[in-house]
Amino acid sequence: MKIPVDKMRNIGISAHIDSGKTTLTERILFYCGRIHAIHEVKGKDGVGATMDSMELERERGITIQSAATSVQWRDKYINIIDTPGHVDFTIEVERSLRVLDGAILVLCSVAGVQSQSITVDRQMKRYDVPRLAFINKADRTGANPFRVREQLKEKLGHNAVFVTLPIGLEDKFEGIIDLVEMQAVYFEGEDGLDVQRRAIPADLEAQAKQYREMMLEELAMFDDELMELHLEGKEPTVELIKKTIRKGTLSRELTPVFVGSAYKNKGVQVLLDGVSDYLPAPNEKPNFALDTRKNEEKVQLVVEDDKPTVALAFKLDDGQYGQLTYVRIYQGVVKKGMELRNMRSQRRFKIGRLVKMHANHMEDIEDAGAGDICALFGIECASGDTFVDDSLSLTMMSMYVPAAVISLAIEPVDKKSGDNMAKALGRFTKEDPTFRTFVDPESNQTIIQGMGELHLEVYIERMKREYKAEVKTGMPQVAYREAISERAEFNYTHKKQTGGSGQYGRVAGFIEPLEEKDYEFVDMVKGGVIPNEFIPSCDKGFQEAVKKGTLIGFPIVGVRVTINDGQYHPVDSSDMAFQAAAIGAFREVYMKAKPIILEPIMKVVLEGPTEFQGNMFGSINQRRGVILSSTEDGQFCKIEAEVPLSEMFGYSTVLRSMSQGKSEFTMEFLKYAKVPTSVSDQLRKEYEEKRKALQR
Amino acid sequence: MVKAELVKQSPLRILDASTRGGLGKGNLGVLTARHGLGKRSAMVHLAVDRLLQGKGVIHITFSSRVQHVLDYYEEIFTEISKMKSLEKAFEVYEELVAHRMVMNFEQKTDVQHILESVKARLGEKTFAVDTVIVDEFNFALTKKEELEAFQSFAKSIGVELWFSVSLKDEGAASLQPVPLVLLPYEYFFSVMINLRAHREDGKVHLEMIKDHASKPQDTHLVLDAKTLLILKD
Repeated sequence: MKIPVDKMRNIGISAHIDSGKTTLTERILFYCGRIHAIHEVKGKDGVGATMDSMELERERGITIQSAATSVQWRDKYINIIDTPGHVDFTIEVERSLRVLDGAILVLCSVAGVQSQSITVDRQMKRYDVPRLAFINKADRTGANPFRVREQLKEKLGHNAVFVTLPIGLEDKFEGIIDLVEMQAVYFEGEDGLDVQRRAIPADLEAQAKQYREMMLEELAMFDDELMELHLEGKEPTVELIKKTIRKGTLSRELTPVFVGSAYKNKGVQVLLDGVSDYLPAPNEKPNFALDTRKNEEKVQLVVEDDKPTVALAFKLDDGQYGQLTYVRIYQGVVKKGMELRNMRSQRRFKIGRLVKMHANHMEDIEDAGAGDICALFGIECASGDTFVDDSLSLTMMSMYVPAAVISLAIEPVDKKSGDNMAKALGRFTKEDPTFRTFVDPESNQTIIQGMGELHLEVYIERMKREYKAEVKTGMPQVAYREAISERAEFNYTHKKQTGGSGQYGRVAGFIEPLEEKDYEFVDMVKGGVIPNEFIPSCDKGFQEAVKKGTLIGFPIVGVRVTINDGQYHPVDSSDMAFQAAAIGAFREVYMKAKPIILEPIMKVVLEGPTEFQGNMFGSINQRRGVILSSTEDGQFCKIEAEVPLSEMFGYSTVLRSMSQGKSEFTMEFLKYAKVPTSVSDQLRKEYEEKRKALQR
Repeated sequence: MVKAELVKQSPLRILDASTRGGLGKGNLGVLTARHGLGKRSAMVHLAVDRLLQGKGVIHITFSSRVQHVLDYYEEIFTEISKMKSLEKAFEVYEELVAHRMVMNFEQKTDVQHILESVKARLGEKTFAVDTVIVDEFNFALTKKEELEAFQSFAKSIGVELWFSVSLKDEGAASLQPVPLVLLPYEYFFSVMINLRAHREDGKVHLEMIKDHASKPQDTHLVLDAKTLLILKD
């Protein structure tokens, strides 16, 4: 059955780890009638929440993989993309956000806006995703949704407006006040299924009136009719209020704020009404593709079934029946038996089986219409591929992929594991563009690269569990760089005469530090002392030389090479000879230019209860970190620091143990900076030893 | 110019001279001004001057925009280094940042709690501090006990502690040297400076209101409207 596009909602649920996102998702699925019992994330019944489809996720109690689930709420069909909450997996968040039309930003009533909420919110802004905020855990000790709403305004810059208010807080949290309908809403009966609307309790009437007034004042900015009624002191209709909230939300200039407790089964149904009333249908948000025939010109897609098909594969999953590909249909339809073309590989393929997914169960369907999300079976593709009708040459815009900061050598324990490891690596690199792998030509080791220690750890675990590939891992390796700190001159002659035609070339000039670029070559040779045809050879030679520094074998960055003199031989000079001369010249001059080692510095944000702040400060100091600032907010504190990546290995364990598991941290790459002499000496010593070991 | 020379030539040395070596360890000082005159710039200039001398600074702020305060440091440092063509400015700044820390609290935070957090930062001598700045402290809501706590902290750790205070329109009281809001606490402060815009030359002057036990002298210092630096008049 094809769903009318205005009845469709593609939404994501984004949040900081532990704000109760998985519980909320679980409740949404439950109330939409698709699952028959509620399981907690760390369930005593051992079943675990339905969205956490992977065993590993169950064990850790966190959601790593996004899965798409279709549910129905009243007359709306909602596709829910579950997004991971940890920063190490942000590529998954980014990819999910690409296919969303709207999102629920879940915040904890106690912890409020945390660093991860800021990251996730920034990503949503980048993809222009309209949001609702759900301030969860209103039943917890220390819950203060009013403070969280202030933080939404101050820290995230949202025009956050309460559309529901809590009735009581902490252990006295009973229900919510719907400020649109001006009613109290209670969630009674088993699992809060029985939604009762009654008059607002007398003691909360004044507060409800005050907040409704605040809401209407904000809404007046978005609708003239409402503004007039408001100015005249007349009550607008519920329909007009809803229409205006929707208008504000779609323009991303208003964030309606809902309050509740998913765990206590309170407020979720009203939030679902909010999703259907205020978040956009797929045709209310413009989406663009690039036309490869017209020099990648931007083309706006039309969310209509009778247009030629454009769909994006945003997620791959390995199920028991083979590869499952989640697609978002941007234009046209996807039908069983239909032929589409993969824009990357240019291969045509036929759609055999088409399903709608509910975390671990699936439903076979015949077709899916424009704007919808579904999953395809047995399609050979990679994540991020675009599928199109044969008449088109469109590709969805490339997704932003951050650079990897950490690498790890892995080695299978036996031959069988080796075969399985190869299979696993092939799959993971297809699934996750931030996960890379290659074989180091020198050590012959397989290297994996990613966004952080936890990111790589999860893949090692998955290799073991899903692919039965046992691997030994080396120490995580930081991506160092080398650079020169001074200008130095070179004058080098490459000369070889060993029978046959000889080799001759002389190059002279200087190298100097360069800030803006990694490498630059300047030709200032006059009078043809090096013939024009050999100038590119010199450039090539220098480029070869900077690939690997002699200090610790990492690439050299920020160097300008200028050649201003040289000499050639009419017979013995050649492309090869001048390349060799350039390489020789660079090796000779490099040490004279006082080379230094650069290391990646991470921006680290720690968050935790203030009682552990002394330990948190101390742990950063021990790691050569520089603390920029600390912010205290009630019982929580946030510390911002800059710390070398090499010092951050194993930090999550250290932080957990020093704070009884109550503190956490996020980090992202900030810059490269010079390593201190003591560290530099140590790195050079290790490199020397490694080289000697390889020579033996 | 190299760093040492920059410190020696800083106009803030004039202030040190007139206050016989500055505020001094264990003492409290206060910088007052009406809103928008450049209090924070002057305070940050003083902090950067201390940092350039290799001293540690903790800057306490009650504004929720921590980044804004961090930006002030970068801006003021850049202006100083440009004006005096400081060599290897970038490296100097990197080094200086390691000795500075900005701590942000909610306005209503208890003074005792603030001081405990500062002590947590000092830890087991992992961070050395010489100057503590309390930016925009609300003297209208404070109590004698809180200032006593600040004072005993300054003495026990051996730091100079500067407050900055925004003055509301004080009406006729503005003719008095000591602002109304500080009158009950005047005896806590060793040095009091007021930033005031003079009608005659249109410049913002640093006026010494209190200088330890001696009679306050003219500082001959102004806050430059363009660079927001403290300069010789």
